[in-house]
Amino acid sequence: MFWRVVAAEIDKNLKQFFFTSRIVFWTLALPLGNGLYLYFLYLPFAAKSVSLEFNASWYTLDLVGFTLIGQLLYTFFTMMLLAGTIFERDREQGTLEALLLSPANRLAIILGAALASALNYVWFLFGILLSWVAFLGVKIIISDFLALFASVVLSYVAMVTIGMCFEAFVIYSRRGVMFATLMQEPVMFFSGLAFPLQAMPRTLLSISYLIPLTFGLLSLRLTLLGGATLPDVAVPLMILSLMSVVFLLLATWLIDYAERNAKKKATLTQF
Amino acid sequence: MVKADGSLDNASFAVEARQLSRDYVSSKRSHLVGKKKTTVIRALDHVDFEIQEGELFGLLGPNGAGKTTTVKILCTLLEPTGGRAFVKGYDVVKDAARVRKIVNMVAGGERMLYYRLTGRENLKYFAELYDVPKREIVSRVNTLLELVGLSERADDEVEKYSKGMKQRLQICRGLINDPEVLFLDEPTLGLDVNIAKDLRKFIREKIVEEQGKTVLLTTHYMYEAEELCDRVGFINKGKLIAVGRSDELKRKLPTGFSIEVLVTRLTDEALDDLKQIEPVKKVLTTAFEGEVEGEKIDRLIVNVSSDSAVSDVLNCLSAQRCRVVSVNIRGPTLEDLFMFFTGE
Repeated sequence: MFWRVVAAEIDKNLKQFFFTSRIVFWTLALPLGNGLYLYFLYLPFAAKSVSLEFNASWYTLDLVGFTLIGQLLYTFFTMMLLAGTIFERDREQGTLEALLLSPANRLAIILGAALASALNYVWFLFGILLSWVAFLGVKIIISDFLALFASVVLSYVAMVTIGMCFEAFVIYSRRGVMFATLMQEPVMFFSGLAFPLQAMPRTLLSISYLIPLTFGLLSLRLTLLGGATLPDVAVPLMILSLMSVVFLLLATWLIDYAERNAKKKATLTQF
Repeated sequence: MVKADGSLDNASFAVEARQLSRDYVSSKRSHLVGKKKTTVIRALDHVDFEIQEGELFGLLGPNGAGKTTTVKILCTLLEPTGGRAFVKGYDVVKDAARVRKIVNMVAGGERMLYYRLTGRENLKYFAELYDVPKREIVSRVNTLLELVGLSERADDEVEKYSKGMKQRLQICRGLINDPEVLFLDEPTLGLDVNIAKDLRKFIREKIVEEQGKTVLLTTHYMYEAEELCDRVGFINKGKLIAVGRSDELKRKLPTGFSIEVLVTRLTDEALDDLKQIEPVKKVLTTAFEGEVEGEKIDRLIVNVSSDSAVSDVLNCLSAQRCRVVSVNIRGPTLEDLFMFFTGE
């Protein structure tokens, strides 16, 4: 029952999202333009190569690849933050009532919605990656495919669980888009998306290490561009795993709390 | 089932509400840093009723009476602030998960459907949510689409459907889990006369008589309830003011019948004079949309105890220079009953 609901939710959301071919094109084109903007913004002020922070300061990466990975993961993170808007749409068109009227597992519904947002992203991720390799000459150096795979999967899982928390939060708060938008700029700044965290003052770095995107960026940059192996990225991967568990538990609690609270306050069907 | 005398037999109830209450609390600041003002609105006030298995029960009342609040509580979308409610013996708060498996709800208006999905995709999606066995989904979806006459348009996106088609698809969604109890919250809202009539026929014949489902229908269209329901309950300002079979309730009316007069140039003096006529018990004016030769039509309902009053009523209106457009003498309707019970 659980996975049937997840699958149905993914199917529904993908059909709703890609309802015209223009959507397919623009979701591919817009992040690419944004990535180019970031690259050329930093190019005049930085050396062609940058070194990494945390436990990987001995790695030096090409700036193009550095910003590319930043851009890719940030887009993903933003999509997960905005996954809550799925429920805002449900609320506005009156389908949230129909969803919550059913006996379907709430966690399954929310996981399905978050996975649909993640899949929306994944299909064009490789398209962007290939075009950057082809046009901007990003040097891909992969030494350990297992490390790369673990980095992709754990970054993905951590961000999906964050997306689930946001969706549950939307059921509760009815202010999902506003909150997600509010989060975007600080996350962009603190995660090391466009500049190395070595440039960040030590006092602010503690905030960076609370954001899963920071560790996702680090492990992906290292495994995809720096040729790092599993032991090199073991620490960020363990932190990502821990964060996934914490966010999943938080999402489970939040969903239950949000629904109970909304039923008490009669906010379930208001918008 | 309902006995001839309007009482319920002793079998267990499909739906029970016991002292059901619901308050809505809203807080608002007069300005950005002003003091919060809290308002409490009592939407349901100690409501008691029960519905028998296989019965079509109508909950009638004007907008804001508490009908939708009752339905939302019974289908677990809202918690009561007082009292308890049961569906097939399950508490709607404590056993909410069990209740959800055996109920479904159809609301009026164009809600509860995904417009970018086709009709068939919508039904398949909801079938998955209700854990309908995989092998049954296709046949059940096809049967339901056939039942409401949507088979030919099943693969069109819902956004291309007319209002009536959307409502028929909603009925399919409401039946997708083969619910034992179906809540219909103003199901004909906004539909044109013929489509609403077809839908009412479908509810009575297919859902209640053929499939034997228990239905709670809320409506503010009194004729709809009169046409469909085994029993009705009148709800107003959160209070249930009368429950019973409509013929039983009609006997409680002190007057024998009503004269419905469509009239133009109606004045307060004419109304006062009408009330002075001996057999006239009650005079009510209700909304009527229409004009004749540029003059607005008013609808008068005059409850009288004797048929001799008809000529007196018409003479009175004529004397006050009111222009009578039509006269209809009829027995009491649910609308008369509602006005009798509420005094409105």
